[in-house]
Amino acid sequence: MVRRIVHARVGAHPSADDLVQETLTRVLAASATIEPGMLEPYAIVTARNVVASMWRDADRKRRNQHRVLDLSTPDAPETQIVQGEEQSAMATALARLSERERRTLLDHEVAGTDTRTLAEREGSSAGAVAAQLNRTRARLRVEYLLALEQVQPPTERCRPVLIALSSGDQRRQREVHAAQHLLECDPCARLSRPLLERGQQRDDTLRIPVTGDPDIVAARVAARELAARLRFGTSDLTLIATAVSEVCRNIVRFAGSGEVVVELLETPRRGIRVVARDGGPGIPDVERALDDGFSTYGGLGLGLPGARRLMDEFAIVSEAGHGTTVTMTKWERTNDG
Amino acid sequence: MNGGPALVSILRQGSNLIASVHTALDDSQLVRFEHDLVEQIGEHRSQGVIIDVAALDVIDSFAALTLRRIAEMARLSGARTVIVGIPPDVAFTMARLGMGTAEVPTALDLEEGLRLLAEHATGSHPTHSPSGAEPDW
Ligand SMILES: [Zn+2]
Repeated sequence: MVRRIVHARVGAHPSADDLVQETLTRVLAASATIEPGMLEPYAIVTARNVVASMWRDADRKRRNQHRVLDLSTPDAPETQIVQGEEQSAMATALARLSERERRTLLDHEVAGTDTRTLAEREGSSAGAVAAQLNRTRARLRVEYLLALEQVQPPTERCRPVLIALSSGDQRRQREVHAAQHLLECDPCARLSRPLLERGQQRDDTLRIPVTGDPDIVAARVAARELAARLRFGTSDLTLIATAVSEVCRNIVRFAGSGEVVVELLETPRRGIRVVARDGGPGIPDVERALDDGFSTYGGLGLGLPGARRLMDEFAIVSEAGHGTTVTMTKWERTNDG
Repeated sequence: MNGGPALVSILRQGSNLIASVHTALDDSQLVRFEHDLVEQIGEHRSQGVIIDVAALDVIDSFAALTLRRIAEMARLSGARTVIVGIPPDVAFTMARLGMGTAEVPTALDLEEGLRLLAEHATGSHPTHSPSGAEPDW
């Protein structure tokens, strides 16, 4: 398949086999992070881009040949032109966001306002703001590329496909038939490589700072929302949210502050992993903390042992003076019920 | 609890108080709710208290403890507490969490909760919750 595409593009060019080799090497290197259904389109896109970059390189070499003699001259003017193009593309991309999206993104990225403050302002939760920021970034990347490459998407399906690739949201990619579209649409195939590479930082991971009581609620609500993307039933979603609540409370009560990272897993099975970390005093006796009878605060020792009972996997690492990390996982059940 | 919609409401109906939670509450909000409700139970010399928790997203160990403590404080003031509206998934989770205390009766909804309080007031049916599927408190 890859070989056929490369041949179609470069004909009987002697370096076609090198290109196939390079393409396959890149695809194999990326295969661990690309889900099976996407592997073939990814290979196609990679092949196309390897060909394109080879042309570009050849072109650049040709253009630069006359400059070999005056290497001492800095090539600043060209660099400046490139930067100017990138800046105007970014300006165009930002202009295509809604006023609200733009303001939230800039406040977060440029002014450094944290998601909790933004959530308070929007009357929303920190988790929801984080998810919204991820969607905005995904759109911005797409709009930036479109503006930079001066591409007018030929079909109505193009933007949704590109945004799904940009966000790394695999469920959304399936919904919009992203793989199929890349095979049919040249501009999208061309734009998709930078997006696929970006997409490996996926928006199926949430990082929530936990510094006070409201964060406990924000974290469990966000974890439930994220888990709802998988085929968890209502009971499992509530189990997960409750376990997150318990481990976050542990952070607030014993360490003062920390963070919880919630991540959707694809391998070895689909599931959700919650990592709660703090840099607090640590738990001197983990065995005892996990003992149901051990009373830790307010006459209640249910937190950690309770969370352990709710999840499929539960591990706790604690070191005196270096804080505590709780890692717990719930797997999607293979059949409903 | 200034600004924004009320997180909880506490209404008086005859000799009973009906307390409804309207949204997910964090720990300090739960503590404030406990404080307000216990205060009103004393103030109105209520005989029965219904706590509608249908809008709580989860009942974790802290929420469960708070509800138990409210019921215990109410009992010391001579009032009987019924928790209503625990969704099945929350009940299931509470059971898994290991919160088995048979102290606080539960009922499916407000109507059933009121009937339970009325039965108790006339002494016809002292402690048992009519819905067998509810978890033990
Ligand atoms: Zn397209």
